[in-house]
Amino acid sequence: MNEIIDIGLWQLAAAYLLLAFPFGIMLWYRIPMIGETVTALVRMTVQLIFVGLYLQVIFELNILWLNAAWLVVMVVVADVSVVRSCTLRLRQIGVPLFVALLAGTAVPLLLFTGLILRRPNLLDAQYAIPIGGMILGNCLRADIVGIRTFYESIRTAEKAFLQSLAQGASLHEAIHPYVRKASQAALAPTVATMATIGLVSLPGMMTGVILGGASPAIAIKYQIAIMISIFSGTAITIALGIRLTSRTSFTPYGVLDPTVFRNASKT
Amino acid sequence: MPDALEAREVEVRFGKQEVLRRFSIHLKPGGKAVLAGPSGCGKSTVLRCFLGFVVPDAGAVCINGTPLTAETVWDLRRHLAYIAQEPDLGTGTTAEALERPFHFRANAGLRGNLERMPELFERFNLPRELLSKDVTALSGGEKQRVALVSAVLLDRDIFLLDEVTSALDKTSRKAVGEYFRKREDATVLCVAHDQEVFSFADQIIELPGRPGAKETA
Repeated sequence: MNEIIDIGLWQLAAAYLLLAFPFGIMLWYRIPMIGETVTALVRMTVQLIFVGLYLQVIFELNILWLNAAWLVVMVVVADVSVVRSCTLRLRQIGVPLFVALLAGTAVPLLLFTGLILRRPNLLDAQYAIPIGGMILGNCLRADIVGIRTFYESIRTAEKAFLQSLAQGASLHEAIHPYVRKASQAALAPTVATMATIGLVSLPGMMTGVILGGASPAIAIKYQIAIMISIFSGTAITIALGIRLTSRTSFTPYGVLDPTVFRNASKT
Repeated sequence: MPDALEAREVEVRFGKQEVLRRFSIHLKPGGKAVLAGPSGCGKSTVLRCFLGFVVPDAGAVCINGTPLTAETVWDLRRHLAYIAQEPDLGTGTTAEALERPFHFRANAGLRGNLERMPELFERFNLPRELLSKDVTALSGGEKQRVALVSAVLLDRDIFLLDEVTSALDKTSRKAVGEYFRKREDATVLCVAHDQEVFSFADQIIELPGRPGAKETA
């Protein structure tokens, strides 16, 4: 297999020419999202330039604590992103959700690098950062769906939830149907992806490994391992996320604290 | 013998809004009381205080002589049966909704009570066919009576009833009234606009209306 081809700056600039199509369609149909799109494109470019520069340094140094610190920073950013997307209060669920995201990322990552790849350095930058990033990205998506579903469904079905408490349910028993619903919602996309992977689109990791010069035979092994890691990471993060955030978002009497929602009025 | 239900000088505020002010009640075991008063005066809030769904800003709430706290509430709820004005019985069939509470550890030993379901359905004028019907598709009156059956099956000694007959016809209202009149052992605290149903009550507690007060459901 060949080494990957570098993209020159002018060649990269040519990629932006492709934007003529979406912008042309937006102008033609007067879709009111040109400003938003420009902002997103600028952000994407600037963010990736900075991340690229920073990762370049991290990869060259490849120091254990620095790699770990980078992963922690990624988890913090994911944590804030989940809390904001779910319109919940960071002060109340930020820390427990951080622990859930960290566990959901670290457990499968360390098993991947240690058990599957058998790296002597479990946090070797070349493997830990891209693999950790992929697992974390999926944990983030799962938590947004799962945590939002959990809290919104209890808020929507407040009467039924309180009725369970009144009927003698413990908090664990009363939240059980909502945990099940939220976990199902969070895990379903990964299950669906696993069922169609390779048929509908070539998955990200497989593409990356092939572009990096490896054979498709190696690429599929990486892809299988990452899919299983992602699935186990999402299961860990959603189960822990609900369990740990429940401790800070329900009153000691078992009632959902309305102030956990950012848009709730304090009563 | 301690009071089954006791509230002493209870005060509840929602934000700046005062809902209950120095509210007190003493109800002996087997006692029956009706909470009356204009809409928004805090009647439902009183019931919710006994369940721990609303925590008073001042005063104390006791059940069977035990102060209701975050630690005791879980055990004390095992003495209470609560029926909301518009009960939400969850999802699934009516039979599943009635069986659900028996999956909770607190009610595990009461599962045999489900055998009384046919008798209670008859008593509250509910057709047996409802058992296989989707519980969300029941009418308001059917939901109220199914919630009542569920509460009775749980063998509680204290009933907190929030307008449980508001959607019932005259025959069913009478059946409900008859049931609680005969239950001499049961303590009943109910919110009812139609006080005729609970005409046998020992006490009628009139809560004063508060301008601008808003009651939570």
